[in-house]
Amino acid sequence: MTSSENVNFFDQCSSPVGIGSELYNLVLGFYYSEAQLLDNLRFKEWGDTLAEDLKYSVPLRQTRLVKEQESSVIHSMRHMYDDYRSIMGRVMRLSGESAWAEDPASRVRRFVSNVQVYATTKPDELCVVSYLLITRNRFDDDHFDLIPCERRDLLRVSGDSFKLANREVILDQVLLGTPNLAIFL
Amino acid sequence: MKPKSHNLLADGTSISDLIDIEMREVKLRTLSDQQLYDLEQQRIFGKTWLMLGHESEIPNEGDFVQRFMGEDSVIVSRHKGEIYVSLNVCPHRGMKITTHDAGNAKVHKCIYHGWAFRPNGQFLASPVADQCMHGTIRDKEDLGLQQARVTLYGGLIFATWNIDGPSFDEFLGDAKWYYDMLFCRSDKGMEVAGPPQRFIIRANWKAAGEQSAADGFHTLTLHRWLGEVGNYKKGEEEGEGGDLTPEMFGAEVSSPHGHALRCIDLGRKIRRLTGKNPDELSTEEKLKVLPPPGMNPEMVEQLKKNLSPEQLQVMAWMPPQVGGMFPNVLFGFVYIPQADGSVVGSMTLHTYVPKGPDKLEFTNWIFVEKDTPPELREKMVMQTIQLFGTSGMVEQDDSDTWPHMTLTAKGAQGRHSTLKYQAIYETDKPDGWPGPGIVNEGFTKDDTQWHWWLYWYELMTAEQ
Repeated sequence: MTSSENVNFFDQCSSPVGIGSELYNLVLGFYYSEAQLLDNLRFKEWGDTLAEDLKYSVPLRQTRLVKEQESSVIHSMRHMYDDYRSIMGRVMRLSGESAWAEDPASRVRRFVSNVQVYATTKPDELCVVSYLLITRNRFDDDHFDLIPCERRDLLRVSGDSFKLANREVILDQVLLGTPNLAIFL
Repeated sequence: MKPKSHNLLADGTSISDLIDIEMREVKLRTLSDQQLYDLEQQRIFGKTWLMLGHESEIPNEGDFVQRFMGEDSVIVSRHKGEIYVSLNVCPHRGMKITTHDAGNAKVHKCIYHGWAFRPNGQFLASPVADQCMHGTIRDKEDLGLQQARVTLYGGLIFATWNIDGPSFDEFLGDAKWYYDMLFCRSDKGMEVAGPPQRFIIRANWKAAGEQSAADGFHTLTLHRWLGEVGNYKKGEEEGEGGDLTPEMFGAEVSSPHGHALRCIDLGRKIRRLTGKNPDELSTEEKLKVLPPPGMNPEMVEQLKKNLSPEQLQVMAWMPPQVGGMFPNVLFGFVYIPQADGSVVGSMTLHTYVPKGPDKLEFTNWIFVEKDTPPELREKMVMQTIQLFGTSGMVEQDDSDTWPHMTLTAKGAQGRHSTLKYQAIYETDKPDGWPGPGIVNEGFTKDDTQWHWWLYWYELMTAEQ
């Protein structure tokens, strides 16, 4: 299978885009808007920010020795493995009548930080690394499910904003502490 | 008659009071009770065969993975062609021998005091043996890692602590005839797509376990979206959009050992694909139109080599698609309709590993056949991840349901409420059904799940 895709994400990153520059601020704005749309269940509007050649995946993690660190991210199996069509299928399900895993919806906040933007060899594409901390609360739970992760994205310029063309999410948990990924990361 | 003392819980309730055989009801208390949970660890997870993975996960000498038998961590490793399952507890001072999920080791060396073991669990040496580190009181043969009894079935790795107990074949009984159709149908066998997904659900393992024993009814409501917005949406002449009832017909196999298989009628799918009445097609024609998950029409020849004509007949008619293996395995070998009218299969196995009365680990392996062509393999893996397991659009609804059942089981009133299994078959086998076992035809019922509980009861109250 295409298990090695995105492994060389950092090879695609060329010169960094300066923090606070106009372009950087546009990218940061994109992520803040994305978090706001998802946290407020505006899935169809979020769908409009996705490129139609989108690849979206969440590899497994494993506890391995430091010398085997590459094996700590597993691409042969993943928690999510989607393209544009299947992500829009998920959006359609969530917009339907019987998506019980998220109806009632979790109360979710997406805290985006450590955003680093890089130019690529294509003038209209940027590589972006961001940290994401998700807090998720359901029903009367007196605890929060925490989902800390790193996102490695490919953004494509579209008008005065961007479309998400590729996202790989590196989770920090081997054994996930949340009962499902019925939410988008 | 006075209940036997080993069946009495601290509050004086007998385990036999928790199941009403005549009424086919089970006290909800079973889904949250700490004492029952502790007994289950000995009487169920210490006695039955447990699925730990697949040999394709550890193809080379010294390869190993860490897995769980109940709450006990075990090392599953390959040594000289054989698979060994060793308790992951150092016999010296109780440290875990490995803390890694997987790897390759010719020697497993405990990081605490350095005692070393072969992949088959044999004690090799302590680091300062010349200073009497492992003493002389016990022989070296006596200092190895505790070994479970292991068997391989279709490459799947099963182990048990019940060293002198029933064989794996006895444990499967008549259900083996059907499992063979899933796990032993191809020439080269199955392989895992990769390591399993793992995630925690705050629910008792039996909430998931009893459902895996072929609960058909829950599909109609909990997974209703499949008919509303999913690819199970019907054509105009096939009934209301959200109505999944036509998918619920077939035959269900119950087992006195709690195993369960739902054999779902492929007739409607074959009719859609061919426009013909399935009765007018031969077994081979049907198999080529709709090959089992993981296979293309060319691979159907392999079925003929590996299965009996009777099994082929069932495979083309009502193949086992979902069900379980007692106590905590779910299988889904399903034929999923695609938007373009074609069908792509999924092959998935889960275990629901107990982690306390209120917690289970959902472990999800996705399979393909070793011979599955790359393009089909990729489609299967993507589709299966999208429907089952962590982010699976079907199973995310299950993982949100079981915790509520576990909570309701704690209430002073709720714990006395009962789980009811009163939808009873009165049909027997379909006409011409060639397979063995307890088989009933028609719309899904509760018999398979009731048998699951009967075996739980048998094990929990057996003479110790």
